[in-house]
Amino acid sequence: MEEVKKVKKPRGIAHLIPGKCIACGARCQSDCPEDAIEMNDKGEPIITAVKCIGCKRCVKICPAQALEMYFTPEEQKILDTMTDKAPEEAEVVEPGLKEYRGVWIFIEHTEGKPATVSWELLGEGAKLAKTLNVELCSVVIGENVEHLCQESFSYGASKVYLIDAPVFHHYRTETFFRGICYLVEKYKPEILLMGATGMGRDLAGAVATKLQTGLTADCTGLDIDEKGYLLQTRPAFGGNIMATIMTEKTRPQMSTVRPHVMELAKKDPSRIGAIVRESIDIREEELPTRVIEVIEDASGDQLDLAGAEIIVSGGRGMCGMENFSILQELADELGGSVGCSRAAVEAGWMPPERQVGQTGKTVRPKIYIACGISGAIQHLVGMQSSDLIIAINQDRNAPIFEVATYGIVGDVFQIVPAMTERIRELKSKKGGSPKNGSSNNGPSGKE
Amino acid sequence: MFIYISTIIFAVAILLFCWSCYKRFRLLMLGKSVDRFKDFGPRLKNVIFYVFGQRCTVNHGYRFGWNHLVLFWSFMFLLIANTEFLFEGLFPDSVSFSMLPVSLYILIEIASVLALLAVCIAMLRRLAFPPSYIEARSMDAFVILGLIALLMVAFFGLHASEIAKGELEATFMPVSNFVASTLFSDVKQETLNDYIEAFWWLHAIVLLAFLNYLPYSKHMHILTGIPNVFFKSLTKVNTQIREDFKKGNVFGVGQINLFTWKDLMDSYSCTECGRCSDNCPATNTGKSLNPRLVIHDIKANLLKNGPFFDNKKAPVLPLIGKGGEGSVSEEVLWSCTTCGACMEVCPVSIEHVPKIVDMRRNLVEMNAKMPGELLTFFESMEQRSNPWGIVPSDRVKWATDITVKPFEAGKTEYLFYVGCFGAFDARSRKVSLAISKILDAGGISWGILGKDELCCGDSMRRLGNEFVFDRMTKDNIKILTDKGIKKIITQCPHCFNTLKNDYRQYGLELEVIHHTELINNLIKAGKLPLNVNGADLGNVVIHDSCYLGRYNGLYDVPREVISSVTGRAATEMDRCLEKSFCCGAGGGRMWMEEEGKRINVTRVEEALKKDPKTVCVSCPYCLTMFEDGLKSTKADDKVQVLDVAEIVSMGLK
Amino acid sequence: MLVITCVKQVPDTTQVRVDPVTGTLIRDGVPFIINPYDTHALEEGLRLKEKYGFRTVVISMGPPNTEVTLKKAIALGADEAVLLSDRAFGGADTLATSQVLSEAIKKLGEKEEVAIVICGRQTIDGDTAQVGPGIATRLGYSQLTLVDSIESVDLKAKKIRVRRKLEGRHEIVEAKLPAMIAVLKEINSLRYPTVPMRLMAEDSKATLWDNKIMGLQETTIGLKGSATQVRKIFSPQRASGEIIGEGLKDPKEVSRLLIDRLMEKHVLSL
Ligand SMILES: Cc1cc2nc3c(=O)[nH]c(=O)nc-3n(C[C@H](O)[C@H](O)[C@H](O)COP(=O)(O)OP(=O)(O)OC[C@H]3O[C@@H](n4cnc5c(N)ncnc54)[C@H](O)[C@@H]3O)c2cc1C
Ligand SMILES: Cc1cc2nc3c(=O)[nH]c(=O)nc-3n(C[C@H](O)[C@H](O)[C@H](O)COP(=O)(O)OP(=O)(O)OC[C@H]3O[C@@H](n4cnc5c(N)ncnc54)[C@H](O)[C@@H]3O)c2cc1C
Ligand code: SF4
Ligand code: SF4
Repeated sequence: MEEVKKVKKPRGIAHLIPGKCIACGARCQSDCPEDAIEMNDKGEPIITAVKCIGCKRCVKICPAQALEMYFTPEEQKILDTMTDKAPEEAEVVEPGLKEYRGVWIFIEHTEGKPATVSWELLGEGAKLAKTLNVELCSVVIGENVEHLCQESFSYGASKVYLIDAPVFHHYRTETFFRGICYLVEKYKPEILLMGATGMGRDLAGAVATKLQTGLTADCTGLDIDEKGYLLQTRPAFGGNIMATIMTEKTRPQMSTVRPHVMELAKKDPSRIGAIVRESIDIREEELPTRVIEVIEDASGDQLDLAGAEIIVSGGRGMCGMENFSILQELADELGGSVGCSRAAVEAGWMPPERQVGQTGKTVRPKIYIACGISGAIQHLVGMQSSDLIIAINQDRNAPIFEVATYGIVGDVFQIVPAMTERIRELKSKKGGSPKNGSSNNGPSGKE
Repeated sequence: MFIYISTIIFAVAILLFCWSCYKRFRLLMLGKSVDRFKDFGPRLKNVIFYVFGQRCTVNHGYRFGWNHLVLFWSFMFLLIANTEFLFEGLFPDSVSFSMLPVSLYILIEIASVLALLAVCIAMLRRLAFPPSYIEARSMDAFVILGLIALLMVAFFGLHASEIAKGELEATFMPVSNFVASTLFSDVKQETLNDYIEAFWWLHAIVLLAFLNYLPYSKHMHILTGIPNVFFKSLTKVNTQIREDFKKGNVFGVGQINLFTWKDLMDSYSCTECGRCSDNCPATNTGKSLNPRLVIHDIKANLLKNGPFFDNKKAPVLPLIGKGGEGSVSEEVLWSCTTCGACMEVCPVSIEHVPKIVDMRRNLVEMNAKMPGELLTFFESMEQRSNPWGIVPSDRVKWATDITVKPFEAGKTEYLFYVGCFGAFDARSRKVSLAISKILDAGGISWGILGKDELCCGDSMRRLGNEFVFDRMTKDNIKILTDKGIKKIITQCPHCFNTLKNDYRQYGLELEVIHHTELINNLIKAGKLPLNVNGADLGNVVIHDSCYLGRYNGLYDVPREVISSVTGRAATEMDRCLEKSFCCGAGGGRMWMEEEGKRINVTRVEEALKKDPKTVCVSCPYCLTMFEDGLKSTKADDKVQVLDVAEIVSMGLK
Repeated sequence: MLVITCVKQVPDTTQVRVDPVTGTLIRDGVPFIINPYDTHALEEGLRLKEKYGFRTVVISMGPPNTEVTLKKAIALGADEAVLLSDRAFGGADTLATSQVLSEAIKKLGEKEEVAIVICGRQTIDGDTAQVGPGIATRLGYSQLTLVDSIESVDLKAKKIRVRRKLEGRHEIVEAKLPAMIAVLKEINSLRYPTVPMRLMAEDSKATLWDNKIMGLQETTIGLKGSATQVRKIFSPQRASGEIIGEGLKDPKEVSRLLIDRLMEKHVLSL
């Protein structure tokens, strides 16, 4: 026994597993205490073996598990004989963090009209609060927005922090951000969630910076780990990878959450809770920004293609101008816009500014529905980086199916109306008015 | 007294003419230098072939080409007579008509009659069957034709009166003699003296007027036509010259003096015959481009701005822009498909395409002005080396279902250069598969570069983005030489032309072969087991690719292949071979939106007149254009478009 | 007066593929480009320069090879490029990134007054859209995100008027200068560099500021100054190439299957 102990435990040398590095931004390099790592032009580490002291810091920090320790066969032999494991370093939790408690949801609204994502967040927040065994609270800021407090309760909040004053009539970064920072500093929540909408992302970025805490953007999954930390999962790299992100050392743990992803909380109007009224002194004169005018966009067919989140596109397979109305109906139900292939423009069915493709517009919506479009390369270049592509075509061999996430082999004139029908059916089941669906969530993550 | 007056008048007129010519010549010298003097022999041959043979005038089915041939040759003889006349006017005492051998008289007589006839026909034709453009009936033409006619009339009048007076031996002058005997037989001797004097002066004045009018009219081609053919490019104009990317240089042509002197001479030589525009796909589909007007505007710009340059002042008329006559608009420049039809039919060998590309270069390289669609196209080409910005690893997707070997130096003979269409475009990928099947069947040793293949850069060069083309070419050449590639099979005629003719300027000599040519060789060598008429293709109509045909002279190859596979000759469209009508995609037009009547639709309609079941092409651009055109004319259910390779692969045993 | 444009060099993620077998990213041959939104930010900076006579400076925090990207900005017409590069800046999250960028902006502001900082809406790799608000907050500038048009700049009154694109509506906002604006792609169409400018840019150099020059506390920058930690990266389950209701004849049934699938995958919620 004595003898074995004298043998020094080999530490090995860090090395890169080819193909695994995602070029995260040189985390390994910046954590290496010995400056043993240089980055190449592809953003991958080159480890200088003689400098590496085998401290494993890079291996631990690498989010892609792209680094591992390398041992020579002799070293490996020694290792195999050693059974005792070095004790795991105990994590030190900063003492101040324990003070922060509770899950907060920011209730987004435009002039009193709530965004659906807020209720989705209450649904998700409830799960987190339950695991942590803490309170679920809403934050409502605006002018004449008290009705949102009751709505928050009915969606599961047990407490609402309310700031109601004329200066909050329009959303403005300065006012809202000061309001939230004030509340957070006073009441110290451990988790603060907002919708990853235009407003949410504008606000969260400012709040997190002011509070000097971590913020995870556009999450699609939230969870609590065994130590009680929030695990935030989000897509990055254009949706090609998922990353799990944590905020370990600062509080609150903030994230913006992608709309449509979390399940909507069950509404129960009978629920009640406590309203905490707060006010903060902000004078209009000292504010740097003023909203001069609000211009409502024309709806439906005039919606701009480039910014649309959902595009229903038709090609020569639509057979005539009049048939585009079935696409318009579907688009209206989805809150989307109608596009087309060049063939449809050529035939005079659609105006040129609706053309998607090489000599038309390049679009990147969340959902692109190609109806009666064969998928010529000139069309594909304009839409193939859409998040999700649905193709409806009679011809099983049409190239459009090569890029489609979901394909339907069939007749557009039967499928499209049936889809519209199904959506209407689902909407009426939910009891909501047919239009309040996806359309009130603010522009989110992508364009 | 008379003697002095005539000497003075003649001297002044001739000096004036020389002065005009000199002024024109000085303007030419504003142009940049270019070497067009080497290879005297071949140049002389060109002159004989094109000028004295009037090859381009007579060919190409122009009804009145023969008339020009007659006029031209008459002029050649009259040149002699009139030179002599000028001498006589200048030095009345020393020289006389009798110095010429008598036998020449008869020739001159015949030439004069023919010229008179030709002039009449020309005038009548301008009245009865005017050319497609309105200015052809302008006064300019009638003035010139009238002067020539008058000259002939004076010539016969002079000689006839001299014969009548007995001053001239009539034996070798049958026409003048005839005139003398019919018209002047009763005229008194003294009056005849007046006649002689009057006709002499008429002849003198008309000749001198003609001489001095010439440099200012479109008939300047009488002076510059021959030298222009002499200086013409000795090879097919299938490439454009390189640019030197040094700081401080100016790129492309945005000002008239940045053209070469040969470009400027081209503009002087334009006969305004309008053949180029008659064959231009853009002009024919109502686009604003008209190659004749481009050349005309260059000339007008030179005449207007030239004097200012001469005095080192700023030009007054923009070369590119909306300045009216003398300016070429941007829209015009972007409409060209670089199909080369204009250059093919031009009787004085004007090179239109390089000028258009030069002006595009100015727009792109100096001013970054271009149609919006090209911005993304340029970015994709520069960053991803393909037109659509697709990731290079997708270049091998076409071959997922077959086994393809990478090219290995020493082991593989041919590189199959698939090209961007062949690699990425769903339709053309089928052609790539057909080619690989044939190559295997023919026992060819071939390989591909896969994801390392780069775009050849054809469209970049034609669109005037020479800077990026230059870089792409250098990258490409590095890969090709590093991999030890000597022989290349291309699928696309554009890759073919670029690798073969453009890359040569970079010192890279490759054996480039288009797939149709290779297939033809294999068939001829009996290496492809074919089932003649194995596939049901029906009536096969053939369409020539501009870059294969006009650019590289490969007309027979696809035809031979088709007839060996189908057992009979392909059906020709009305416009075929040298006069084939472009599909509309070349010159970077593939990447731009087309307004108005589409070129491809026009061509498809032409093909449909022949009632085909199959249209056979040999270029991925043509393939796309025909498929699209057939769909828009709703003929796609009756007619299919196939590449030559597909036809062959269907016929393989 | 300065307009400062923040640009980030990013891998062209639209070209990234995921290996279907191993689930790892295929980055081979994927080039680094200027973040597409930032090209519009730069363009807007250049337009402001042309209209109001600002000097345009581009700044970027990134590895040394970012210089290539910055040269492109110079070729397009930027007056100066500053590259913030240091080992200590590596591994930064948005908090640490905005720290370095805002300190650099302050430093530039010592010599010449800063009027406007322009950022892209978001990047295509990190995708957070948080750096712009971070900079604005740290510097106390007016924060204007989602801008799709700059209506006017009043240099005397030190005001800027922009249009912001929100869901279903636009908003005209007036703000005091200095301001940070984060722009959408719709704000302008890009220009193409001329050859003389490219040749000029080839010989130009970006000013390099490392942490010796910046002198920032190590605990506020890079990995150490980051409040978030990326724990794990994995590839998403990507549905692709699936034919819904293969062989089914009834369109109603097929549509139901599709819509249900979309709901189940949370791409659609009603
Ligand atoms: C210079 C140039 C630029 C171009 N730029 C663009 C561009 O920007 N954008 C663009 O889109 N194209 C562009 N094209 C055109 C492109 O090449 C294709 O011709 C075009 O995209 C085809 O349109 P399509 O798919 O609608 O028609 P088609 O290719 O004719 O396809 C129609 C499809 O509909 C299907 N179909 C028919 N009836 C039904 C039915 N009842 N139910 C279901 N399916 C049915 C058929 O199976 C077929 O697949 C360009 C072409 C050129 C030459
Ligand atoms: C997989 C993964 C996930 C990540 N998730 C998070 C996360 O959730 N939260 C978080 O805080 N960090 C996260 N990061 C870190 C983040 O990507 C980096 O901090 C990055 O430096 C800035 O964020 P961004 O790319 O999202 O920029 P954005 O905030 O989207 O950028 C907005 C604008 O800011 C400017 N800008 C941004 N970066 C720079 C720069 N380096 N130089 C100049 N201008 C710049 C540009 O104008 C840009 O258009 C993540 C990193 C990885 C690899
Ligand atoms: S930490 Fe990992 S992913 Fe990041 S650069 Fe280093 S090896 Fe690559
Ligand atoms: S090359 Fe073709 S398109 Fe261009 S001007 Fe000549 S004939 Fe017209």
